[in-house]
Amino acid sequence: MSILAFRDTNVLIQGITGNQARQHTKNMLDYGTRIVAGVRPGSGGENVHCVPVYNSIEEACQSHRIDASVLFIPAKSVKEAALDAMKNGIRLIVCVAEHVPLHDAMFIFEEAKKRGTIIIGPNTPGMISPPENTKLGFVPTMYFRPGPIGVCSRSGTLTYELVMRLTAAGLGQSTVIGVGGDRIIGLRFRDALKLFEEDSKTKATLLIGEIGGSMEEEVGEMVARGDIRKPVFVYIAGSTAPEGQRVGHAGAIIAGSGGSVEGKVKTLQQAGVHVGTTIAEVIEMIKKAVGN
Amino acid sequence: MKLYEYEAKNIFKDAGIPVPLSTLATSPEQVHDIVKELNGPAVLKPQTLTKQRGKAGLIGFADSPKEAVRLSLALFGKRHEGERIDTILVEENVKVAGELFVGIAVDYAKDQPVILGSPNGGVEIETLALEKLDLIRKMPIRVSRGLGEEEALALAKFVGKHISETHKEEWLAKLQRILLSFYEIFRSYDCELAEINPLGLRNDFSFVALDGAMVIDDEAQFRHPELVRCRAQTEESFKQEQAYKDKGWTYIQMEGDIGVLSSGAGITMAILDLINLRGGRAANFLDTAQMNRQGIFDAFQIFHNSKSIKVLLVNIFAGLNRCDELAEGIKDYVSAYQAPFPIVVRMVGNREKEGRAILEGIGITPISGLEESVDRAIAMVR
Repeated sequence: MSILAFRDTNVLIQGITGNQARQHTKNMLDYGTRIVAGVRPGSGGENVHCVPVYNSIEEACQSHRIDASVLFIPAKSVKEAALDAMKNGIRLIVCVAEHVPLHDAMFIFEEAKKRGTIIIGPNTPGMISPPENTKLGFVPTMYFRPGPIGVCSRSGTLTYELVMRLTAAGLGQSTVIGVGGDRIIGLRFRDALKLFEEDSKTKATLLIGEIGGSMEEEVGEMVARGDIRKPVFVYIAGSTAPEGQRVGHAGAIIAGSGGSVEGKVKTLQQAGVHVGTTIAEVIEMIKKAVGN
Repeated sequence: MKLYEYEAKNIFKDAGIPVPLSTLATSPEQVHDIVKELNGPAVLKPQTLTKQRGKAGLIGFADSPKEAVRLSLALFGKRHEGERIDTILVEENVKVAGELFVGIAVDYAKDQPVILGSPNGGVEIETLALEKLDLIRKMPIRVSRGLGEEEALALAKFVGKHISETHKEEWLAKLQRILLSFYEIFRSYDCELAEINPLGLRNDFSFVALDGAMVIDDEAQFRHPELVRCRAQTEESFKQEQAYKDKGWTYIQMEGDIGVLSSGAGITMAILDLINLRGGRAANFLDTAQMNRQGIFDAFQIFHNSKSIKVLLVNIFAGLNRCDELAEGIKDYVSAYQAPFPIVVRMVGNREKEGRAILEGIGITPISGLEESVDRAIAMVR
């Protein structure tokens, strides 16, 4: 099994007529994702790779059951698009856009919490469930294979690097989620970890963290409380990053003592989480613990 | 994007939050005229984005225009944490009976703003938050509702708890209005942080914002074009930064000699860690957006005139793009210019074999292992 996205998940693409969206719609379809509809005001009646396009989500919902929506929408319009999706009862939203304003994001998440909607992102390549041949977003699929490792990451490019090495070591993945690199994001490590814990096919989870924020610390607390029984492996990038600088991702900034790699590693190790200081080390750890 | 004190105060004033009388000066002559006009004690506040100007002894107090000129001569042109003092806010020296604190920040773990208040203003709030928790009150705010009248009053009562009983209601009503306006500023200016510290209490039952700080969310700059311009840096470096931004690049200069060209913040951070942990020193952080042939050619230009770089490490992980396309971009660069430094390429992904052939044609043997490529770059520097 996987979590959140399955082969029978009906997917909507918001902003489907854009160039990027067209290309990624094709990539998702090729991988096996069940895209049932697209939305673009003014383009109702058109088709994109045989996917019917509607003028509004409301209209799309009249003809299809929609389980998830992928937003290929510019940052400035994400708030409106996400609220529209929630209003129409969509329970899973993947927001790939980078540079979503902070106040817009806060507004979206407040609404999502009220409704129980899961939002992945913003600033994420999306998610992929290899056993279900389903991906939501633009994750390049070439190195992904079905298997027992759940992966959750703040960085797209690091995900590909680590997944390539997992696969090379014979360790496939149940579901891989890019939670996004922004300071505030929807689905957090702790939420994903809970879902992986309940998934019978996931044997262990790999979390790919970064400096800044408090997500890694939250995981430490959860594991320390005994809420998570499956082994958790963590790699955190940015141990040598200059203090106080935004290193690419907006979330990757160390403010005072909070968010440093040192602090995160300490909290995690005390809780019994396996922390690798380098990519190679964390992959070795997983191989030893989970490999055959 | 951090605002200067005078910008924050202008915004406060427009929103009805009282601020001292003040004028900006860029020369000692102007300082003289402003203080003369004020006709009373004045405060000279250099407009820098650095922290703790007071502790650094940069805030001047003058009783006469002559004294103000003398102080300003020592301030103009001086550097504080690398920032040059070019403008001074000359302000009336307001007598206050007490100093309070109000601020709004974002709780990134809970995705919502938090308004904070304290009856003990004027001190560093971070210190207060750590040492005297009972002197600070925090209230989470639901963005869909904003700050409510009653919440504002409750916070006003806490912040103003030392205010004398006479006319207390009048005081608190004013403070409540200030809190409501202050949240409206935080919201409408897309702030990630806003502070009035200290908020002075005057004997005539009024308040005055003695100092102000605002940080505007960089991602929301498009909503506030009037505020976007160069800050605390040269016009040139500001333009450079904007140019990178337009391309979707993030570039941070560092002190080492190994240049790094890579796509994606996470993997780039991991490469810097590897370089530093294995005994090398990275010269920069560069996260380019997804690359194509022209993009990688352009990115090479950043390093072209660098004097500090002894080797350039290029990481290509072609998941959505193609190795051969990017290899062509490298070839374009090497053919157009003599690369002034050796180039180490790590390359994996789509059409890797084809990309490898192109690079080998120009004398570069790509490496597929990340660690190996880092080690090669470090060895070349030594």
